Amino acid sequence: MKVSLFVTCIGDRFYAEASADAVRLLRSLDVEVDFPMGQTCCGQPAWNSGHLPEARRMAEHTLAVLKDAEYVVLPSGSCAAMLRCTYPHLLGRRELSDRSYELAQFIVDILGVHELGRGLEGRRLAYHHGCHALRELGVREQPEQLLRSGGAELVPWEMDQECCGFGGLFSVKTPEVSTAMADRKLDTLPAAETIVSADGGCLLQLESRARYRGLNLEFRSLASTLWEARRGSP
Amino acid sequence: MEVHSRDYAKRARAILRDTPGVREAVTAATRSFDDHRRSAFAELDGEALRDWAEGVKSHALTHLDRYLEQAESRLMERGAHVHWAETAEDVHRILRELVEREGVRRAVKAKSMLSEEVGVNPLLEAEGVEVFETDLGEYIIQLLGEPPSHIVGPAIHRSLEDTQALFSERLGTATDASPEELAGAARGILREAFLAADLGISGGNFLVAETGSIALIENEGNIRMSTSLPRVHVALVGIEKILPRLADLSTFLQVTSKSATGQPVGTFVSIIQGPGGSRGGEPDGPEELHVVLVDNGRTRLLADPEAWEALRCVRCGACLNICPVYRQTGGHAYGYVYSGPIGAVISPGLVSLEETFPLPFASSLCGACAEVCPVRIPIPHLLHTWRERAVEQGLTEGTARSLMKGWSRAATHPRLFDWIERAMAVLPDGISRRLPMLRDWTRGRSLPRATGPTFREIWKDGIE
Amino acid sequence: MNREAEGGAGARDRILARIREANGSRETVEHPGTLPAGLEPPVAYGGQRPDPVDALEDRLSAAGGRVVRLSGPDSARRWLEEFAQEFASVSICEGVPELLCPSLPNAQPEQAGLGVSMAVGAAAQTGSLLLSSTEGRRSQLLPPTHLVWVRAQDVHATLGAALEARMGDLPAALALHSGPSKSADIGRIIVTGVHGPGRLVAAVLEESGDW
Ligand code: SF4
Repeated sequence: MKVSLFVTCIGDRFYAEASADAVRLLRSLDVEVDFPMGQTCCGQPAWNSGHLPEARRMAEHTLAVLKDAEYVVLPSGSCAAMLRCTYPHLLGRRELSDRSYELAQFIVDILGVHELGRGLEGRRLAYHHGCHALRELGVREQPEQLLRSGGAELVPWEMDQECCGFGGLFSVKTPEVSTAMADRKLDTLPAAETIVSADGGCLLQLESRARYRGLNLEFRSLASTLWEARRGSP
Repeated sequence: MEVHSRDYAKRARAILRDTPGVREAVTAATRSFDDHRRSAFAELDGEALRDWAEGVKSHALTHLDRYLEQAESRLMERGAHVHWAETAEDVHRILRELVEREGVRRAVKAKSMLSEEVGVNPLLEAEGVEVFETDLGEYIIQLLGEPPSHIVGPAIHRSLEDTQALFSERLGTATDASPEELAGAARGILREAFLAADLGISGGNFLVAETGSIALIENEGNIRMSTSLPRVHVALVGIEKILPRLADLSTFLQVTSKSATGQPVGTFVSIIQGPGGSRGGEPDGPEELHVVLVDNGRTRLLADPEAWEALRCVRCGACLNICPVYRQTGGHAYGYVYSGPIGAVISPGLVSLEETFPLPFASSLCGACAEVCPVRIPIPHLLHTWRERAVEQGLTEGTARSLMKGWSRAATHPRLFDWIERAMAVLPDGISRRLPMLRDWTRGRSLPRATGPTFREIWKDGIE
Repeated sequence: MNREAEGGAGARDRILARIREANGSRETVEHPGTLPAGLEPPVAYGGQRPDPVDALEDRLSAAGGRVVRLSGPDSARRWLEEFAQEFASVSICEGVPELLCPSLPNAQPEQAGLGVSMAVGAAAQTGSLLLSSTEGRRSQLLPPTHLVWVRAQDVHATLGAALEARMGDLPAALALHSGPSKSADIGRIIVTGVHGPGRLVAAVLEESGDW
């Protein structure tokens, strides 16, 4: 099986190693990974802030770059939701949408893999569900299942499904509200070694707020964590 | 009511900075409302029920003219007076004439968002009428001179301590009075007002076309009293409140109550068909019932090809309760009577996008509201729609627009894009902190430095 | 006619015209019909006792009300004589049948400690007592304790059925009372008896009969 990886702009810049881990993980599952070089940004920032022509241009670009892909896999819930759920609305056509998946969704639903390895034995993790993965893609069980099967304990977090406050331009227009939302997440966090999420945007938001407040917390992408599970050690 | 929505960001900042207790009180209250809603829906087929409720409201809206005429005839047959108001000024005129004709001196009011919307209290006070808000929460904010902060719990932003201080100053209760004692003090004053008032003003949760019934849901009994004790009852009802049949009402009463507070139904429900007293051939009750059917922007919203769906709203507050943005500030940040997700999608239609455009942007688009709305209003979709229009009409800041233009140009030129992504790693902090968007982002956040190679560079080097 | 003329007729016609125009090109939506029985909110409280009277008892109790079950008018009258001992005076609504009125010290609703009324129906599904304005509303609202007589035969499973039974004979105001008056507006702490009666007692008469 062959997939085209779409790393997204945040994945390219801020989570480059995590994106590389996604490649390692997929290859270890006998998936051939290809990286179309022309890819850039899915257009979500423009779409979310109401800039339709710009969003459309980026979507068309992405479509053109990925048109030959058998599957598109994204290590990002919100960008996967952009391709799967928003593109049809934005462009009036579904090409690509039905072939695009968030990483954990792809592994469980398409590859049918439910266990990766026991590399997370004894780890206590808190999982943050990104809003778009959760509510647009309906991805809830898949990441949790893979983490648990890796031996990790997912500590119960009453706010695990509440928004981190990122929201693209929202976090810039109303930084005080946005950071208050991040605080609500951080202040309800149970004792865990690492906070894991499938979304770079959420991780960036939570990590930046934690750093500002001087909180010593570890944040890690789902891709890297799943690769740890697979590889057998950190 | 005056509209201050253009200052959303400023107001939100001020609330978080100056009154941190508001965030705590609002979060606690909304979470508790939401928990109750959740348990109530756990014993139902909520999804199918929401489909049904959506269908009934959409049906009513697409046949609104017919049902309003039907409701009007039923009410008139029962001896009620039916008024039509296109604007807030029309409502004012109708009330002013009534006050003069009936010699009204004292009015008791049962919680009504519409009366806030059209500014009933200032009007009546200017006419020399003494006005008492009788819902305990409304009474508290009336004493404070504040607008409601939530469509179901107007005073949820106030703590017990706040009310202790307020009542001790204004009503002379002990500074450490218990909630019972505080409620007792308010009850004493308001009971006298109920018995002495000439006029009772209410809103209406529903207007049933088939029977002309105005239905009102509450927990305290103040609505029953306001609509039963004074000689004249005026009900202000938005034209979108129509339900076709009495059989629809029984389900909507339950769905609304469950969505609002998790109760099977509110403690008291009034279903009013006409005047009571000698006019209605009954031992007591108001001699006159005036029903004011209010447009005030609703037909404009109805004409909107997208936003008309928001008229299905039953004002249960479930979308506010689940909203992580609303939870940080409560309703006052929004600068208008309707706040939270539903406020952000109806205010631009009811008032104007120009005066309220920051509200649709006051959301992280997390989508939680869409999951709880009992009439399936596509709130995130409507937030998008208003955002698009605001950008199209040039209402938003130029910096965001140029940034998106620039970003989309870069994103359609992979080599330029690649160069920007790599440049971010070497950008000195001093410069990045001065970039327009980044500057705001780093207020309260310390971005981790992305100094390593980009994924593209890693890929080119080969991944082991 | 009661349609307010001055400026009103014009406003009415303009509003209706705007509605018609707004809906002009919109596809109309069909009414989805009567709520399918399977979608009705459950009648039994906590899935426990499905019999309507039992369910009414469970739901009203859960809402902070009290339910007394009596056989017929004779035992009911005796029970009320006993119950009314704790009140200095009682205000009885006009609609209450003679058979249910022992002689008790009477007072105006404003002064009475106990108000007594007769439900025209009840709904187990929501724990609601249906009260009609034809018996007078003051005794239902002003005394701090409210006693409501309910005939078991008038207790319907669903709220829909209870309302439908009143459909042909709607008073000026039909009210549902589903518990004591309460508010959580002060610091989210529940306080009862804020405006309406702080105590609600439903006395269910289980013998059927037409009194
Ligand atoms: S939009 Fe929906 S959830 Fe929000 S108040 Fe209206 S009906 Fe309730």
